[in-house]
Amino acid sequence: MMKQLFDDMAADMEARLLDHYTARLRFTLENARLCQRLYSDTHRLAWCGVCAPFDLLNAMGISSCFVEYLGAVFAAAGSAGQFLEEAEHAGFPTDSCGWHRAVIGAAAKGMMPIPDVMIATSSPCTGGVAAVEHLARTFDCPLYVLAIPPDDSESSVRYLADQIRHMVDFVSAHTGEALDDDRLRYAMHKTNEAREAAIEMFHLAQRIPSPARAADLRNFGITLPLFLGTEAAVEIAQAYRDEFAARSGQGISGVQGERFRLMWLQEAIQFRHPLIKMLEENYQAAIVIEELDDIYWEPIDAEDPYIGLAQRTIAFPFNGQADRRLKHIKKLVQAYKIDGAINPCHWGCRQGTGARGLIGEALKELDVPVINLEVDCADARNFSEGQLRTRLEAFMEVLDSRPGRRSTN
Amino acid sequence: MTTEKASYIGFTCAYTPLALIDAAGYVPYRILPMGDAPDMAGQLLHDNLCPHVKRVLDRAMDNDLPELAGVVLLNSCDAMRRLADVWPKVRPKDRVILIDLPITSDDPAVSYFGRELSRLADTLFQWGERPVTQETVAASIDRYNQVALLFGSLRERLRNGGVSGGAARLQSLYNRAVTQPWDETFQFLEGVAEETNTPSVGQNGVPIFLFGNVLPDPEAFGLFESCGVRIVDEDLCTGSRVFAPIKMEKSEETLSQLARGILRRPRCARTLLTTQPGVLAAEVLARAAECKARGVIACSAKFCDPYIARIPGVRETLRKAGLPLLHIEGDCTMRSFGQQRTRIQAFTEMLRR
Repeated sequence: MMKQLFDDMAADMEARLLDHYTARLRFTLENARLCQRLYSDTHRLAWCGVCAPFDLLNAMGISSCFVEYLGAVFAAAGSAGQFLEEAEHAGFPTDSCGWHRAVIGAAAKGMMPIPDVMIATSSPCTGGVAAVEHLARTFDCPLYVLAIPPDDSESSVRYLADQIRHMVDFVSAHTGEALDDDRLRYAMHKTNEAREAAIEMFHLAQRIPSPARAADLRNFGITLPLFLGTEAAVEIAQAYRDEFAARSGQGISGVQGERFRLMWLQEAIQFRHPLIKMLEENYQAAIVIEELDDIYWEPIDAEDPYIGLAQRTIAFPFNGQADRRLKHIKKLVQAYKIDGAINPCHWGCRQGTGARGLIGEALKELDVPVINLEVDCADARNFSEGQLRTRLEAFMEVLDSRPGRRSTN
Repeated sequence: MTTEKASYIGFTCAYTPLALIDAAGYVPYRILPMGDAPDMAGQLLHDNLCPHVKRVLDRAMDNDLPELAGVVLLNSCDAMRRLADVWPKVRPKDRVILIDLPITSDDPAVSYFGRELSRLADTLFQWGERPVTQETVAASIDRYNQVALLFGSLRERLRNGGVSGGAARLQSLYNRAVTQPWDETFQFLEGVAEETNTPSVGQNGVPIFLFGNVLPDPEAFGLFESCGVRIVDEDLCTGSRVFAPIKMEKSEETLSQLARGILRRPRCARTLLTTQPGVLAAEVLARAAECKARGVIACSAKFCDPYIARIPGVRETLRKAGLPLLHIEGDCTMRSFGQQRTRIQAFTEMLRR
């Protein structure tokens, strides 16, 4: 059933792309293709934590993604509710992360493909490790854990690089898929190509007015790593770059008459909701950047990639102490000339939402207001649309009334 | 009894290397989530964050702490990491170090944790007491192993109903041992060990194995006993887990041995055995069987992801073995714990049938 759904979705998008090529559609197609592979029963499969080195796994021919991704797919499709309920019946309280409850419930209902291996990553969150461990137990599947140090000292980088090397051996041993040097080198070149195009694309998105709007880059930063190491990631990043360049060249902004430039923190709300549309249409407010829409890592040395992969993993903004994340947010706020930030405070997220007080303080130093919403980004059942709408309206009025507010009209 | 003024290092996690702090000339002082400090942590940490961490932060914000020479925090979970983030905001003069704690206990993790302990040793030296050498660490490990032995014998006596004051008394001893200088700890524990066996208050209670994370208040153990429960063994991060002995071999570098001993002590739910996902469930069952418990009570702090995710697996394993489980979530106050009285009583009555 799921495979048919994704087959149909991919076929539809391929046809639409022939008719009208957009970067977003190309990106969405690649997501559909990934889901096709995940549910195909013919591909080697790894369920992972957020920070797994997907380019390495792609080079090995392993279809892989972080488990939260599937939770988001269910939420976007409007089917997460039944899986969340299943997990709750099994004893996972609503206090826990909705992404993890969704996939745990889906696994219990037999709606999650059984993987060949599972790879937990200690970053970004403890809950993610626990969820992957639970799924490994459910699937009776070999488990590997990447313990990601919080700092980038030589000792830490070496520790993680060695773990990534051993991960390759582990995956090979359990799937029979070897990693040959040529495929590895090719994958790292593709990773670096995608990186270059993405950097150019993000620079374009920083323009005033921005050619980007929320629907363009939604989930881009968190999802692009799944395609790294492949030509698809390069195509996607280049398509966005070219599209933004064309829009900028023609003076087209993402949101017509852009008046406010907003930043969306942490992750997007994945189910259908009207808040973004309301911001764009009623206030000409463009969400020009999501927090993870950034290249925060150096190119990977294709001849000796493990150190570079370890450094990239450690540099993930949500890894380690909040300082790294706060510096990253501040950098983006300044680069994108942000007027205000929206923090959805995903209920059940200790690592992300846990830092909201610190984020508020950091943004205050830059005189950028932030609004904290209380929402479970995976769970539409308790979504208080009216309340959130009212709070966002009040927030926009505050932004509008600020003296010296930058107007990009 | 020591006459010098103790120089305390604050800590919050059961994985903290007490022997290393002792070797550096400091007294490890566990900042237990107890006391009357008003709820203030919500100003900095979200409502859905671990109440253990928030109660600790409440104490820091209320200045309900002795003078500290520094604070050693472990990167054991998201909440502890967030505590390390906000500590400097509420006590800017404190010296704080965050030590990474690997999530597994395999050999590479032990080596890495050994290097983290070495970094801690250097930092403690910089903080000003005395240099840490292989010999001083080995001596301190030996001292803490002596304490572990005494606690081991008291737990054995508790199992047989021979500790005056029962589990509540034992918990108060644990609390003293993590907040007072080693020599005082050793002295009073020796005194308790020499006491004649006295039947504990809950002698006729239903034998229960208790596990989880944070339950430092002796009053909670008194509540259990008043509900007809007899705690015959426990595995808590505010209890026996802190004082698991460290095995020493002369041939290996001391900090490596300390790292291995700490990482491989009875596990908190946050530590994984990759070859056996969900092993915590089997371990709880084994411990419960070993102490001949008729039921198991899990106590965990609300919003604790490591336990939230593992309790369903533990429940399933125990159910298959015919061992009932009661799970109690709390916010580290007796106010919330007291509300569980009826559930505990019902659980005990069910076990008596």
